[in-house]
Amino acid sequence: MLRYALRTLARMAVTFLVIVTLVFFATRISGNPLDFILADGLTSEDRAILIRYYELDRSWWHQYLAFLRGFWDGQFGLSFIERRPVGTIVLERLWPTAQLLLSAMALTLALALPLGILAAMHRDRWIGSAVMTLAFLGYAVPNFVLAVFLILIFAYWLNWLPVVGNATAWHFILPTLTLASGLVAALTRFTRNAMLDVLGQDFMRTARAKGLSERAVILRHGLRNAGITILSVVGLQVAGLAAAGSVVVESIFAWPGIGELLVRSAIRRDYPVLQFGVLTVAFAVIVINALIDLAYAWADPRLRQRGA
Amino acid sequence: MSHLLKATALATSLAALIGAAQAQEITVVAGNMSSYLDPGRDHSNVGSQFYFNLFDPLIHRDYSKLEPEWLPGLAVSWQLVGPTTMELKLREGVKFHNGATMTADDVVFSLNRMFQATFPPYQVRQRDRLGNFDRAEKVDALTIRVHTKREETLWETLLNLQQLYIVPEAYIKALAGDPNAVENDDFEAWGLAPVGTGPYRLAEFVPGQRIVYERFDDFWGEPAPLARVTVRHVPEVASRLTALRTGEAHIATNIAPDQLALIEADPGLKAEGSNTALFHVVIFNVNHPKMQDPRIRRALSLAIDRDLMNEALWLGKAIIPSTHSIAEFGALYMPELKTFYYDPEEAKRLLAEAGYDGFEVVYDMHSPSYYTNDTLAAQAIMEMWAAVGVNGRINAIPKWTGNDPNMMARTWSNPMYFADPAGMFGVMWAPGGPAQSEGRFNTDADYAAAWERFRFSTDLEARKAAYAELMERIKNDPPLIPLWRPYESWAMRKEVSWRPQPGHIPYVLDFRAGAIALDAMN
Repeated sequence: MLRYALRTLARMAVTFLVIVTLVFFATRISGNPLDFILADGLTSEDRAILIRYYELDRSWWHQYLAFLRGFWDGQFGLSFIERRPVGTIVLERLWPTAQLLLSAMALTLALALPLGILAAMHRDRWIGSAVMTLAFLGYAVPNFVLAVFLILIFAYWLNWLPVVGNATAWHFILPTLTLASGLVAALTRFTRNAMLDVLGQDFMRTARAKGLSERAVILRHGLRNAGITILSVVGLQVAGLAAAGSVVVESIFAWPGIGELLVRSAIRRDYPVLQFGVLTVAFAVIVINALIDLAYAWADPRLRQRGA
Repeated sequence: MSHLLKATALATSLAALIGAAQAQEITVVAGNMSSYLDPGRDHSNVGSQFYFNLFDPLIHRDYSKLEPEWLPGLAVSWQLVGPTTMELKLREGVKFHNGATMTADDVVFSLNRMFQATFPPYQVRQRDRLGNFDRAEKVDALTIRVHTKREETLWETLLNLQQLYIVPEAYIKALAGDPNAVENDDFEAWGLAPVGTGPYRLAEFVPGQRIVYERFDDFWGEPAPLARVTVRHVPEVASRLTALRTGEAHIATNIAPDQLALIEADPGLKAEGSNTALFHVVIFNVNHPKMQDPRIRRALSLAIDRDLMNEALWLGKAIIPSTHSIAEFGALYMPELKTFYYDPEEAKRLLAEAGYDGFEVVYDMHSPSYYTNDTLAAQAIMEMWAAVGVNGRINAIPKWTGNDPNMMARTWSNPMYFADPAGMFGVMWAPGGPAQSEGRFNTDADYAAAWERFRFSTDLEARKAAYAELMERIKNDPPLIPLWRPYESWAMRKEVSWRPQPGHIPYVLDFRAGAIALDAMN
């Protein structure tokens, strides 16, 4: 297990270095921040002054080395536009996104697991088809359409729920529903399929033959074994969301999250913010993936042995 | 559950509204939010919304009027004491938001930080509009003098600029590094924690997210009508309007023309609008090999039916200028000049004469859409060009291409930075100015001579004649065509009385006494 963990760690480090480098060069290939920050109405003399001031006259290699050195020292630089430390800016945005992500995942798990099990157990009856139809719908309706419908119904017409920002618990309801809808749909389908695979296995028959109740058979033996598949889907979903999958939702609900920040920084070519923001997200995704890997290993003894 | 939810939500929103009316608190949902708050370095349409509540200039104006009527600000009187020297008497006992009393040293520091700028972002602003100022100096505790390099006809206009708002010297110097020296880092830090003398102080600022103003009790003038104003960034217009309906917000900025019917249909809401003091323009690159012939550019300009687009895109609410001039210029407003007009037959004739061979004219526009109606306007312009035989293509591109030698034509805007042709046409199209230095506009000795007379002549008629000369040059060899003064709208709840004031530069959210009122809940 320890060796497996170490190997995971090493893989994380390499992935991270590759991402650091990619992000650095990709942001620079995509355009000069002066075309965005200061944009129009500058004489060439003014441009020259500002290019020097923002240290954009240095070569890419110089900037890259300075960037890596800064990383080592924990100095990530100032935003070109806000002139604040990028760490402050990104951290300010990270927590609201994490909150939204956690509430959406909690809702997803709470709905998708029972629904998926239900659909699997009643796959030939109306209840199974009903669940699957709903799941299909949830999958087919894009986030931004659903968000607009929810806003229209619950805020615009009924006036029950707020739509702007994250000030109170009420503010969480609509964005969470929007974000969770697609996830619930996907996870319900996966849970159902995973359960169906498991339900026909010999050990399930054995469990029943032992005289266990159906409930115990499903939960203790069925779900536990289907869990490996489900876990991988949940991992992908969390990682996808963390990688700015909530951009649209954040923008519609004026949620002060990291997705909105990254899009805005990309449009304005605020390199320092973009770099640090993408790296923070990448780091989160890598950590989540590593945790899932470890959870696999814990859930599936075969993996541990292969690693050893 | 749903009843409980409804009842709770209703109760909270009602309570919030009543509370807001009593406590004189409002929330504004804004389509754009500043990343920093420094009136000296900023000249954006985003920033211009926020400074007027926080700061004062030496010379105010009556912002409820279009024509300039100068009023005492932090100076109580001013007079010329020489051809290039103005002496100003300062208001006594003015407090900054940090409690410090404003001194002549603060005023001299504020002016010289721009006139003799060392901070690069200030240097840029100094050159594009404050170039004629030499220095400010203290005479005594309540008197200062400002010196220009040459005679200046725009004294009050320029001293009213947001770049010359008065700021606290000691506070700024102490922000970073050596507390007794002016360093670049002082000004960088200043943009996040500005302190002024205005009726509101900055209670909270989260760049890109929100600004919270609170009434400043030691304000020298009429007290602020609101105790607290929260401006929140809400990028989606649908979310802004919904927030108005739910009572989460009282005013919403940046409302597109096609939303106005929706607002008028809602008994709880209303809209206020005005023709913003800026032009949306099309610029041409006069040095592009295929665009060098002025007849080609004249034809492209003459082919555009701006009145038709006004009806179709702006419901007739935009203003179509006949020349580069707007009513805010006062005595220098010259609508009698006919610089830009629609004449498709003349366009066809010029194209034939120039031997236009059907080459593609690429029309750059900002992506994502930046100006209200810009995409529809671009599409209409392509159709209008096609109607005279020009093969146009829209190139949506997320960056500024005005300095790219391959640029042929693109969208842009010309804001009015101050109420004079020098503050609108002048900032962009001066000899050696940005248009020329980006390589898409040329000037010669004649243009420069006319420019000199226009900018520095002390005789009004001479200024007008010189400006007419410049416009004739622009007409015959066009580097741009102004499309319109756009009509910008703000939506608000019925109990709010607010409208954009005509004496301001574009987009100012003026919440001072007289500019906003909240009716009691009915």
